[in-house]
Amino acid sequence: MDNDDTWVIIPVYNEDNVIAQVVADLQATFRNIVCVDDGSTDGSVAQIATTAAHLVRHPINLGQGAALQPGLRYALARPGGRFFVTFDADGQHRVADAARMVDTARSGLADVVLGSRFLGQHEGHRVPLLKRAVLRLVVALSPAARTMRLTDAHNGLRVFNRTVADQLRIKMNGMAHASEIVSLLARSPWTVRELPVTIRYTEYSRSKGQSLINGINILFDLAVYQR
Amino acid sequence: MIVQIILLLAALGALVYFVRRAHNVRIRASKRIAFFAFIVVNIYAVLRPDDMTWIAQQVGVGRGTDLVVYLLVVAFVFGMLNTYLRQREISNHLTDLARTVALRDAESANRDRRLVRDRADRPL
Repeated sequence: MDNDDTWVIIPVYNEDNVIAQVVADLQATFRNIVCVDDGSTDGSVAQIATTAAHLVRHPINLGQGAALQPGLRYALARPGGRFFVTFDADGQHRVADAARMVDTARSGLADVVLGSRFLGQHEGHRVPLLKRAVLRLVVALSPAARTMRLTDAHNGLRVFNRTVADQLRIKMNGMAHASEIVSLLARSPWTVRELPVTIRYTEYSRSKGQSLINGINILFDLAVYQR
Repeated sequence: MIVQIILLLAALGALVYFVRRAHNVRIRASKRIAFFAFIVVNIYAVLRPDDMTWIAQQVGVGRGTDLVVYLLVVAFVFGMLNTYLRQREISNHLTDLARTVALRDAESANRDRRLVRDRADRPL
């Protein structure tokens, strides 16, 4: 398998319905997978244990953003990792998109590759209207996202090369970590590229995904963070 | 009115206190002094309410009770800020601690699951 130099990091919080399947889908392309369980109260941990994914468990619930950092640390501590992918646990991302993004990073065209659900011409229409409005607003209000001409600041699918993963310090715990990553990247010398990705809006991911109310939380965190 | 200047200064002080993250020994000492001064003023205000009214009139507030309420608001804001900053600090420590524990446990757990090889083994 030629993705042995790649680690996939999946923050998991109460996803026992889908996590085993998500890992199984990934495993066909990526051998190195680490799930970071953020103190799930359901059977997520047991589900992960049935897979060949590595498991890092938070002793207490810390919030989604908090799970990325130890996942990266863990993967960096394993030998041979050159590329690090962040992947959502609810099955909304496509493995093929991740593989394409890793190829871009491997080609040296970018240090960081971010997925965007708005880049493909026809893809944007699949995003539910209300959600599109919230995400567009977040991008419009984020100076960092504007500077880098990003179209989608809150996509969970990202690829970092080793240098970036090594130096990334994500502090925020909540959903604002996505904004935090964007502004860290904006102030860094790394080259960032966006690639179009497709988000699968299933009933399941709809019920779990960021709601409009959560959009308000994101905006608030963003305002406080950019103080 | 003098009281407006005093209250504005207090608000400004709260802002500076909030933005300045370094909490050194001097700030801690002045917090304690401020706390004791507040207690002393309170005792005095209870014993000699008329004096409070006199002071209140000097700074442009009608009654002594009003002045006490104003001071209470200022003290409350500082107290809340102090609690908030402390709580945020603790939460950051807790995050660091939880991450350390998580990583340490993961090494041994994944070794037990034979996902991670011992150091003696050849790396992947």
